[in-house]
This record gives sequence, structure tokens and C-alpha cells, in this order.
Amino acid sequence: MPDALVEFQHLSHAFRPGRHIVIKALRDVSFSIQKGEIFGLVGESGCGKSTLARCLMNIYQPSSGRILYKGVDLCDGKARRQHRRMLQRERQLIFQDSASSLNPRMRVERIVTEPLVIQRIAPPRGSLRAEAEHQLRSVGLDASCLNKTPVELSGSQRQRVSIARALILEPELIVADEPIASLDVSIQAQIVTLFKHLQLAHGFTFLFIAHDLSMVRYLCDRTGVMRGGRLVELAPTRELFSNPLHPYTQALLSAIPFPDPLRERARPAFSAPPPEPAREGALVEVTPDHFVLQSPSCT
Amino acid sequence: MTDQDRFAVVGILNEEPAPPPRRRPSRAPVLSALLLALIVLGCCFGGLMTAKDPAYMDLANTNLPPGGEFPFGTDTMGRDIFSMIWSGGRVSLFIGFASTLVSTLIAVAFGSLSGMAPGWLDALLMRLTEILLSVPNLLIVVFLQSLLGTPSPAGIALVIGVTSWTSMAKVIRTEVRQLRNSDYVVAARCMGGGFFHILRLHLAPNFVSSIMFMVVMNIRGAIVAESTLSFMGIGLPLDTISWGSMLSLSEKALMTQSWWVLLIPGLFLVATLLCMTNLGNALRKRVNQRHSNL
Repeated sequence: MPDALVEFQHLSHAFRPGRHIVIKALRDVSFSIQKGEIFGLVGESGCGKSTLARCLMNIYQPSSGRILYKGVDLCDGKARRQHRRMLQRERQLIFQDSASSLNPRMRVERIVTEPLVIQRIAPPRGSLRAEAEHQLRSVGLDASCLNKTPVELSGSQRQRVSIARALILEPELIVADEPIASLDVSIQAQIVTLFKHLQLAHGFTFLFIAHDLSMVRYLCDRTGVMRGGRLVELAPTRELFSNPLHPYTQALLSAIPFPDPLRERARPAFSAPPPEPAREGALVEVTPDHFVLQSPSCT
Repeated sequence: MTDQDRFAVVGILNEEPAPPPRRRPSRAPVLSALLLALIVLGCCFGGLMTAKDPAYMDLANTNLPPGGEFPFGTDTMGRDIFSMIWSGGRVSLFIGFASTLVSTLIAVAFGSLSGMAPGWLDALLMRLTEILLSVPNLLIVVFLQSLLGTPSPAGIALVIGVTSWTSMAKVIRTEVRQLRNSDYVVAARCMGGGFFHILRLHLAPNFVSSIMFMVVMNIRGAIVAESTLSFMGIGLPLDTISWGSMLSLSEKALMTQSWWVLLIPGLFLVATLLCMTNLGNALRKRVNQRHSNL
């Protein structure tokens, strides 16, 4: 078994938007992402997927628990500062909304090469422009985009630009927070194929967050299902889709639309199983590599 | 009988509908820009137009009305007002621009620092600004003046600049608060972009349009402040010629009925301020229009 690149250990995060309001976005999440794999994270809106990604990128400071990246504890300020440069170069984030993740007043060339400028890395291909052009080529855009501003690009072009920006430092880990959710269905397929291609070419580890199960099934090696701030099931993607064990996963999989109206009409309405009790539960390895959340009382 | 008489066509409009009332596009203030450019150029190269020394007191020709050798007349001490206008304008405009530079720099630094800072520091910095804002400006100016000692144009520019950045800093802080949560700022921070990198690349280009109006108005305000101070006798000394210190001579001039000593520098001052207000308003309109088009 390859070694883990990222390890979440009992990660919890709570938001306190008001004096007496506490929103527990993550509750005791533990799992690891192996080096070089594509890890899919699915779940309904507000289940804590993005919070997890943002904790991993150090945008939020988790309330408790640890995140180990190559053995460095990301929640520990001292260790983080020590490895600051390494972390900034090796982790990259791709956002959901490509329109707001690109500065509307910058040209594509400068957007793509911004990481190089920040990290003061000499462009390996001579000039920044050549480097930007190369990166754009690799995500399927041509050099004519270099002088455009994000406003002049289409949604998929913008998302390609932000992928190029994430790739330019040759990162080890790419975290994509619903990168395809704001795109058209046909474009989604293009971008997902691009991700698969790029991952093969560069070999980075990829945390792919989505709520579209069919995309996850196509792209990911392993998949985790989240609900209410917990990881309820974690298994290799094929295993998860053929043999879902947790009732929530079963319900979620049954809701994948099928392009046949007769079959769709006959389908029973989606009903989510009652939420997990607030009690502590633990992930139990049911079959090899297949983990399911089980409350202590059930076992 | 024509076809038109035989058939009534239902629903057709006989007249072309009047074009919907269009909002008058805000015109660029060409006249103001031209006049302002003329005044600025005159102040820069005014020395070439006249051979007279603005500080020379020609005691044989005191209090002469405009005309002849002295196009704008002379004051009670026999100085040529025409050359005084140009060299005094240079001082006034210098104070306007220099103090705006100072106040804009402070406002940008303070505002963006406060905008990017965590909540408690932001609150502290903003309360500090409000304290400064609530003390009458004149009081601080007089206080700082006494600290600096003998007033000079550079000193006055500094004092006015240091006292007039507060409201601009508040505007910048609000803009930065909005911008800092946008994904591209978050992305830049993840890549390791420092405060100055983010300020230069992501924040400043996005808030510059909304403070442009305030910057222009700040130049105006600084010129007014200098004139006020000089008029009250706590600004520039009488031997340093500026539009403000020229106006401070006017009490004496009025007693001798020489209206030109008061009117001519006043006219130049008012024209300059009016042009700047016009330009500032046009800038603001343009920014608002662009926002509403989005």
C-alpha cells in the first residue's frame, strides 16, 4: 500500500457566526489520501465538504484534530511556518466559481503566471509568457487567450485558466472544490476528462469534491461520502457504487438520474434516511478498504 | 380608393413611436480640464511670461489698478500681482498635490491594513480613525504647525496631508473588506502572496476607481485649507507668496478700495477649485455608470 500524502485525524471544525450559535461543520473526520490517487468526496450541500477542503488549504483553522501533510501538522502554526514555502508550492486549490476566482482586472497571462511571480521561481521555459502559453496549451487553450481578461472568456475557458494556474507550480496535491458544479453538462465532461488526462500526465494527488455522483464514478479511485459533517462511508469507487452499505449512501446512489423517462417515473421519491444520531460513531472496516460509519449501539 | 382606406389594419401604429427619453450622457468636462491645464501650465512656466520679480516691492508703483505695465495691477506694497499669481499658484498647487499624495498614501496603507486585519485589530484601527475624524481638523493642524515651527510650503503640505486621510481610509477599508473574501484573493494567499503583493495586484486596481473622486476632492480641499490658514495668519508667512497669503492682504486692500488685490487671486482660486470639482464629479459619474452597467 502506498504511503499517505494527507492524513486527517479526528478533524472537527465549528463556525461561530453569533454569540450563541455554533455550527458544527466537521465532526471527528478521520481518513487519509494516498499519494497519487484521485480521491472523490461527495455529499449534499452543507455537509462540510468545502470546509474540509478549506481546512486542508489552511484557509480555516480547525477547532480540533490534526491534518498531516507529508508528516507536517498543518494545524500547528509553528510547523506550518517552518514548511511554508513547501506547502505553498505543493498544494493548490481550484474553486467552484471560476468567475470570482480570477481577478477581473488581470490578463490571463498574468493570472496563470502569478504563482511563479509570488514564489520568485524563474520560468523554466525562458519567459513568463512562454510558460503561460505552455500551461494554457496543456489545458486545451491556445495562445490567443493570453491577452484576454476573464470577462472575455467563457465559463469553461475560465475554469481551464484556473486549472492552468494551479498546475504551473507542478504541485503534489490539487484540491478542487466543486470545480465542475458551475459548468454546463457537456463542458463538465470535457473538464473531467481533462482532469483525468492531467492526473495521468503529472501524477499529482487529487482531492475532487463534487455532488455529481456519475462524475465521481468516472474519475475517482476512492470515494468518501459525507453527511452532516461526518464521513459516513469510504471505499474504492467501484466497491462503493456496486455495494453501498450505509443507508445514506444507498439513498444517494438511488437518486442518480438515469436518461430514461419511463424508468425515472417509476422510481420512488428520494427520501434521505434519518440523520445520524449525535452520538459518537466510528468508521468500521467491513470488507478490506471499505469503511462504514456505525454507531456503537448498532454493533 | 386606396388600399389604405379600404382596410383598417388592426394593431398597426400609424406613427413611429417617439424614441424613449434618453438620459443625457454625462459629457466629459472638456472646458474644466482645459482651464485647469491652462492654470497649471501658467503656474509652471509663469516666470517666462513676465520679467518682474514677484517679491520685488516697487514703492514707486503701489496700489495701481490693472492695466499698462501691470496687467493685474499692484498691491499695497507695490508687488506685481500678475507675476505673483503665477508664482503663488505654484505654491498653492504644490501644497494641493503634495498633501494629497501624503494623505492618499496614508489612507491606502491604513485602509488596506485595517481591511485585511483580523476583527479586533480592524475595530481598533477604525475607532482610532473615528477619534481623529471627530476632532476638528483645524485644531490638529494648528497643533501640528506649532510642533513643526516655522511654516514652509512643504511643512504645510505635510500637516494638511496628515490630517485629511481619514474618510478616504474608511472608504478603502470598506472596499478591501469586500474584496478580501473574493476567491482570487484567497487563491493568492494560498499561493503565498504577501500583503503588498495582494495590495498591488488585487486590491488597489479594484478600489482605485472608487477613491479617484476623493483624491481629486482632496487636492481641492488642501488648496482651500492652505488659503484658509494663510488668510487667518497661521499658514504661510506673508513673504511666501501663495494664493492664500495673497488673499490675507485683502483687508488692507479693501480699505484703500483696491478691489483687484482681492478679486484677482480669489478669481483664480475659485476657478481652479470649480474645475477640480467638475472633474471630480465627472469621474464619480463615470464610476457609477460603470457599476450600474454590470
